[in-house]
Amino acid sequence: MDTLSQNATEIILESISDGVFTVDHEWKIMSFNRAAEKITGISREEAIGRHCWNVFRSNMCQNECALKKTMQEGKSFFSSSTYIINSRKKRIPTIVFTSLLKDKNGKIIGGVETFRDHSLVEELRKKLYDSFQMGDMISRGQEMRNIFKILPKISQSDSTVLIQGETGTGKELMARAIHNLSPRKGDPFIAINCGALPDTLLESELFGYKAGAFTHATKDKQGQLSLANEGTILLDEIGDTSPSFQVKLLRVLEEKKVLPLGAVKKEKLNIRVIAATNRNLAKMVAEHTFRQDLYYRINVIQIKLPPLRQRMEDIPLLVDHFIASRNKIRGKSISGIDPTALGILMAHDYPGNIRELENIIEHAFVLCSEGDITPDVLPSALTRQSMMEIEDDPSPFPLKSAEIKVIKTYLKKNNYDRKATARDLGIHKSTLFRKIDKLGIQLPKIDGRSKRV
Amino acid sequence: MKVAVTIWDEKISPVFDSAHTLLIVDIKNEQIKNISYHSFEPKFEARLTEELGHLGVEVLICGAISETHSTLIEASSIQLIPFIGGNVTQIIETYAKGNPLAPTFLMPGCRADSPSL
Repeated sequence: MDTLSQNATEIILESISDGVFTVDHEWKIMSFNRAAEKITGISREEAIGRHCWNVFRSNMCQNECALKKTMQEGKSFFSSSTYIINSRKKRIPTIVFTSLLKDKNGKIIGGVETFRDHSLVEELRKKLYDSFQMGDMISRGQEMRNIFKILPKISQSDSTVLIQGETGTGKELMARAIHNLSPRKGDPFIAINCGALPDTLLESELFGYKAGAFTHATKDKQGQLSLANEGTILLDEIGDTSPSFQVKLLRVLEEKKVLPLGAVKKEKLNIRVIAATNRNLAKMVAEHTFRQDLYYRINVIQIKLPPLRQRMEDIPLLVDHFIASRNKIRGKSISGIDPTALGILMAHDYPGNIRELENIIEHAFVLCSEGDITPDVLPSALTRQSMMEIEDDPSPFPLKSAEIKVIKTYLKKNNYDRKATARDLGIHKSTLFRKIDKLGIQLPKIDGRSKRV
Repeated sequence: MKVAVTIWDEKISPVFDSAHTLLIVDIKNEQIKNISYHSFEPKFEARLTEELGHLGVEVLICGAISETHSTLIEASSIQLIPFIGGNVTQIIETYAKGNPLAPTFLMPGCRADSPSL
């Protein structure tokens, strides 16, 4: 019967997809199943009798060995944040489960380690993260992801695009993403800030000029429109241009030709035009401060970028992204952000939008060289504001009051859809219901879900 | 010649990427001199080669190593001898005498003639 059960155990161990090995008290491998051979790339013959750390080669071996903890404490352990390195130098993400190995009399004769190749799970996780990204823009918010979805189609067309959004929402990044996804990606992308230059300078910059066109014009200068030929031009802050410039620009856009100052012959243009503004052009048209014909000429496809305060769920993702990119650029080793510092960032309303958040991380990088970003390396105005909010809170239970405030904010943001609110807060729906009940949060008689019906 | 080894007690750290201590020795005429220990954080890739370069390391002997780290080290013209496991003293003595570390100290599953070594 014992032999039968032993055989059955061996057959089971050989047929499962989890790697299993056992070690004796000297940490030498006693058995190594087929899946373990497959995952590690090491044959059973080579593994048996060798020290487990030279075979398993996990990042946990040296300091956080789960098997060692099991042997010391007599308990099973599970670890999900581990990887092994195979002989082809490839990191294989794994999950690990350890337990004691006992003989038929219950005597401990070693330990058992079961491990699972998590590469596929990690790959899917990465794909999910990639779906939050388009060019250099990142968002898990529905509004931005809807834009990401249609962006490839917009890019493939040659239509003029109008990008509207507050300052710092990433209008230029959006324009670049459109260019990089378009058939013109191998050709120039030129961004020009129309609001930064007076009319005459803007015209000569954009249209170019011929030698002698005006005093000091000693030689020909190609305009940005010609330089962007075959590519894309971003006309940023188009809402800040004068009516007379708007007329000239409209003519260029309609004729697809440009006349440099002082020239007699028009130059043909083949460019994709993207216009961007932080102003409400429709309102400006109604107020006669922006030409209606130009508005309709540039407003073929409109993209509205939401301000950061309307996509607060993106802050952790953006912070991670900025930390990773700055680590590469600055050669630093910042590992992340601690929860208190992240809480301070989440409480801010970002009038400067993503650019402001990026600058905050830049500030933290100057003061912090490794480890997590902590509140003391954030700009003092932010931490002061956060302290003032706490001090101003008249509630005798500031923690409870803060929790109510956060839940109410997210409920409102999600139009009182409890499921979406729970997801944004990273808690289960039933936990949210319990908290709403416990904290006595009054809800309006609407439910965000009803909006969809 | 300055030789560095990532160590864990008396043995080579099984995984370079998560090692913490670097043992550096000078080898001259098969003699081991100037033994020193350094705290080391290879998980911070951005500073890895700068740190090794600062310590004057010419040869690095280590355990299993990921491709990212090995590419960085090899690109900085440090000679890398990876996938070595066993007792540090024996390994350094063997290396100092000019004897090959493989196959005696090679980790299981690795071949001495493997292009990755």
